[in-house]
Amino acid sequence: MKVLRITPDRCTGCMRCELACSYMQTGTFQPAKSVIRVSPFEAYASYAPYTCPQCAEAWCLTACPVEAITVSPVGAKVVLDDVCVGCKLCTIACPYGTIFYNAETGKAFKCNLCDGQPACAEACPTQAIEYVEAETHDWLGAFAAERAARHLTTLASA
Amino acid sequence: MVRHVIVGGGTAGMNAITTIRQYDKGASEIVLVASERPYARMVLPYYLKGDISEAHVYTATPARLRALDVQTYIGRRAVGLDPQAGTVTLDDGTQLAYDDLLIATGSSPVRPPVPGADAADVYSFWTLEQAQAVLHRLRPGCHVAMVGAGFIAFTILNAILARQARLTVVEIAPQVLPRMIDAQGAKLVEEWLRQRGVHLRTGANLTAIEPADGRKRLRFQEGEDVVADVVILATGIRPNLEWLEGTGLAINRGVLVDEHLRSNVPNVYAAGDIAEGRDLVRGEAAVHAIEPTAMEHGRVVGANMAGQPVAYRGSLLMNIVEVLDLEIASFGAWDDPQAEVSQALVPERFAYRKLLWRGDRLVGAMLIGPSREVWTSNDLGMLKGLVQSGIRLGAWKSYLHHHPFDVKRAFIAAGTTARLLPQTVLGSPSVPAAAVAVRRGV
Amino acid sequence: MGSTVPGGYAGKILRVDLSTERIWTEELTPEVCRTYVGGAGLGAKILWEEVPPEVGWDHPDNRLIMATGPFAGLPIWGTGGLTVVTRGAMTNGATNTQANGFFGANLKHSGYDAIVIQGRASRWVYLYIYDDTVELRDATPLLGKDTWETQQALEQLLHLSGHQLSVYSSGVAGENQVRFAAIAGDYGHVASKNGCGAVMGNKRLKAVAIVRGTKGLRVADPRGLMLAAEEIADDLKYDPSTRSLYEYGTLPGVMNLLRLGALPIKNYTTNVAPPGVDLDKWTAPGLRNGFPHRGYQCNACGMHHCHTQVLPAGPHQGELVDEPEYEGWSAGWAMGCTDPVAVAWLNTQIDRACVDVNEFGWLAGWVMECQEKGYITKEQLGGLELRWGDVEAANRLLQMIIRREGFGDLLAEGVKRAAERLGGPAAECAIYTLVGNTPRGHDHRARWEELLDTCTGSSGTLDSGPPVRHTEWGLPARFSTFDPEAVARVVGVTRGRRHFEDSLGACIFTTRTYMATLCRALNAVTGWDFTKEEAMRCGRRTAALLRAFNVRCGITPDLERPSKRYGSVPVDGPAKGQDISKHWEHMLDVWYETVGYDRRTGKPLPATLRELGLEHLIPALWGSEEAAHARR
Repeated sequence: MKVLRITPDRCTGCMRCELACSYMQTGTFQPAKSVIRVSPFEAYASYAPYTCPQCAEAWCLTACPVEAITVSPVGAKVVLDDVCVGCKLCTIACPYGTIFYNAETGKAFKCNLCDGQPACAEACPTQAIEYVEAETHDWLGAFAAERAARHLTTLASA
Repeated sequence: MVRHVIVGGGTAGMNAITTIRQYDKGASEIVLVASERPYARMVLPYYLKGDISEAHVYTATPARLRALDVQTYIGRRAVGLDPQAGTVTLDDGTQLAYDDLLIATGSSPVRPPVPGADAADVYSFWTLEQAQAVLHRLRPGCHVAMVGAGFIAFTILNAILARQARLTVVEIAPQVLPRMIDAQGAKLVEEWLRQRGVHLRTGANLTAIEPADGRKRLRFQEGEDVVADVVILATGIRPNLEWLEGTGLAINRGVLVDEHLRSNVPNVYAAGDIAEGRDLVRGEAAVHAIEPTAMEHGRVVGANMAGQPVAYRGSLLMNIVEVLDLEIASFGAWDDPQAEVSQALVPERFAYRKLLWRGDRLVGAMLIGPSREVWTSNDLGMLKGLVQSGIRLGAWKSYLHHHPFDVKRAFIAAGTTARLLPQTVLGSPSVPAAAVAVRRGV
Repeated sequence: MGSTVPGGYAGKILRVDLSTERIWTEELTPEVCRTYVGGAGLGAKILWEEVPPEVGWDHPDNRLIMATGPFAGLPIWGTGGLTVVTRGAMTNGATNTQANGFFGANLKHSGYDAIVIQGRASRWVYLYIYDDTVELRDATPLLGKDTWETQQALEQLLHLSGHQLSVYSSGVAGENQVRFAAIAGDYGHVASKNGCGAVMGNKRLKAVAIVRGTKGLRVADPRGLMLAAEEIADDLKYDPSTRSLYEYGTLPGVMNLLRLGALPIKNYTTNVAPPGVDLDKWTAPGLRNGFPHRGYQCNACGMHHCHTQVLPAGPHQGELVDEPEYEGWSAGWAMGCTDPVAVAWLNTQIDRACVDVNEFGWLAGWVMECQEKGYITKEQLGGLELRWGDVEAANRLLQMIIRREGFGDLLAEGVKRAAERLGGPAAECAIYTLVGNTPRGHDHRARWEELLDTCTGSSGTLDSGPPVRHTEWGLPARFSTFDPEAVARVVGVTRGRRHFEDSLGACIFTTRTYMATLCRALNAVTGWDFTKEEAMRCGRRTAALLRAFNVRCGITPDLERPSKRYGSVPVDGPAKGQDISKHWEHMLDVWYETVGYDRRTGKPLPATLRELGLEHLIPALWGSEEAAHARR
């Protein structure tokens, strides 16, 4: 299946993916509603985007008491808005922190891979996000560990 | 053909059935005994609020049950079990023989032992029928007294307020949500509710519920009476164990089960609110009586009944409730008195984090924050991931101690994702329940 | 959100009166949006209407306007910044200065297009903004902190990190009302000109902290916007005029300007690199790759411009610093420092102290030259020895200045005032304009268009900047920087473009595309039908408003000239012997005629004002003189 491959050292923290994603989610540019989220790993620097790994045995899907989460043709785990009641069980079941509750709509929302044309990958000016055939993977761990080592050292000496 | 008898059509029972069918594609006989049509208890508050209709509440329609090739005894209760004979007796006298049996009969609300609490016009909120009774009494402007300020009570606060009722919550404990969050978190929640017009009385010892001209008068050991139009009792639940007395099943608080959800009696499994299984963090047997545990129990027991020897790591205690757009959640050993604690409070943003440590592992966590905040939703799942994975956080422990709100940086840099990816429950890709059908066009 | 406001706008101006601690909002009307767009245009309108001539830069009634525009917070490259408009401390006239980062994006997502601050607080406060929560909070714990420390302290206090919180403050320099104090935030983004930070300090406003808001921005045609944004991006990436900017930001400037004799070296005493300097280190790839670096872009920006560096060597090895812009590197050269690692470190100290890097460069270079020549003694400097190229000593001088300690108190008044106070031969070495500001980090004696632009500017700095895609206006693609006529014409004809760019809520580097392209993006966002002519007219309107404001403040054309050193003749290098002073009056004649301002009084002519839709300024600006002028 095609997944969002993140190459974190290409990310410059411009947050353009969040804007593009939020547009797909809400029809407005509202990064608070983005399901890809960029954050720093070394003091205020070394940003990287983080989003749903589309895990095979999906915690969110199995947690849903009303079967509002299903698998889309491109393999994304997706929320069916008309079925979701907003109980938020998925948001505590997902151990990756990548399914969210929208208080305005009263629904859960998450990455749906934009039905196979992910807006974040298209929006990323540095190809830090690519939509490619690959096994899902911990794309950020090693990068974050390396960059954050400096962060921890800096804090210790501060 | 193997015959599985499932007693209970709640979350555990239905997940077990779907999982059995996912594995055996119909190569067994399944019999479901359920006192009500299967529905999702978690969604009753949204039904009460008016967000969804009754039809939306049911989890398994007759068509679905047919597609899963399930023989049903809906509206029947199991009243007896004979392990030697391998039979279950129903309330109408029917005897069902089983090759294996799943006990998933859930739990029922407990009423407080005070005069008047058992009156018919004093309501519980647990079953669909009870939800409907409450629904028919709620009128705009009416005064609702909620007895109990635990999880169940909190799940319906939004609905009561959305129906423009006035609300007084009385709780015997000195704080709200006493079995879900600590006192500091509770203070924050109480402030949030008070600012939004909810009357709270904690430490209130109810002594009687009396009729009062078509209304109800609540009396307390101390303080003024409360007169309300509708009284809802939400003072706890207990497992429905009565019918299992004298069967030889090992029962503590619930039916004790091993890592395959087997009881001590051969071919008898238990799952959900009635089962006392391994708690993931504490390692001991516990009755969680929460939806996520019932769901996982159901899946694991279903796999085992279908012949997959799936061992269960245990259930993670977790709760989330949102009141008027404030998220409140706790995970694992959130009240572990032996744990080291890291916490931070931002009162003006109504945000709170508490982390509980054993060594450099997170064993419990608590989160409070407004729903609309990005970091509330970010941290929710990640805290669960940290507790669930049991990952060693090393140097990040002291970082999180000073920055309990910067969960994400630590989560990712510690390599939690890599650790979580292979950590699954059944070890096979999940299939939407709707896609699990063994008979078509029937 | 106002329902009538065009796409791209949040629809509200946030008003703060520090004297009464009152906070309120004001609806933005569609007419104001269309006429002034935002940013510099909106700021100029408010400045003209609300700051009368008797309200000087340090008067409580002065307005500090932090404005964004319709692009801010959208996925167009480089749209996170703010434009600061105020009556500034250096010229005591209009200020229009831009910083980038995430301030503008966070503000727009909180629901505001601009913040207008007036009054003076009775205690030190910071302004906290998060959606509908806007509060003045006690800033006592932040006092004495530099810009980075202020941001870190608020991150700690609010438990937020990264772009979730944008904090702009004015450092210790602002607290002490250093005349060239800047406003800086998001670790390295500076609105540096005309002492806007002194205004902030005068108001006892320590910082503005904006949490990334949760509100959505609607646009007229989202698909059109994405396509227009891609068109701008593509142009920046592949057009020969912007390609190196795309790849390296302003880093190529050092070698490019050295080749032209426009890199300022040792306070304009030479234009030749000292022997032994490893110029390979000063190429764009040398400066970028000479440091471990991480991209650190502003909102939605795909440029490889802003970066964070790790100092690879020296006494500060391992520290995270902001990769200097050209202006930062050139300030190093102005002080005679040719070690990139040392300059990179000093540059961040300047950001953190929060003063204009150009002004400090000229100031430190001037003190170095004066000390070498004996015009300023070690004793005057409290024992400080300031030798060419010594960044550690320069930093000690910086710390004296921002605390106004000893001689630092005089230097805190900026080059012009310090030079005039000292007088004598020291004054003759100082680089400034008579209006009160100093140039950008170039040697303008080899870049006449910018010398003219700096002296005639009404913003506290140059108004138009280097010409961008100027062939759009029928100007020749190439012209000689030493051709007085052509230079004055180009500066005049392109006037307004920068003002328009600076009204969009976008970075002046990512708007270096065709005006027609910018208009397509603006129209997709707002649903308007802007042509490039209307856009230029909009920019010229803003320019004229700022000019009118300055005239009303008493800034007259006789001040529009360089100091002796600034207007002198280069003694070596590629521009050796080029003498602008011979042509100066003629250049002004041509410029005034081109822009339609009155050569004698400096005022925009009534006809110009009418053409720009500013006829309402005529009575205030011309009064009965108008009739007289019409007869002339």
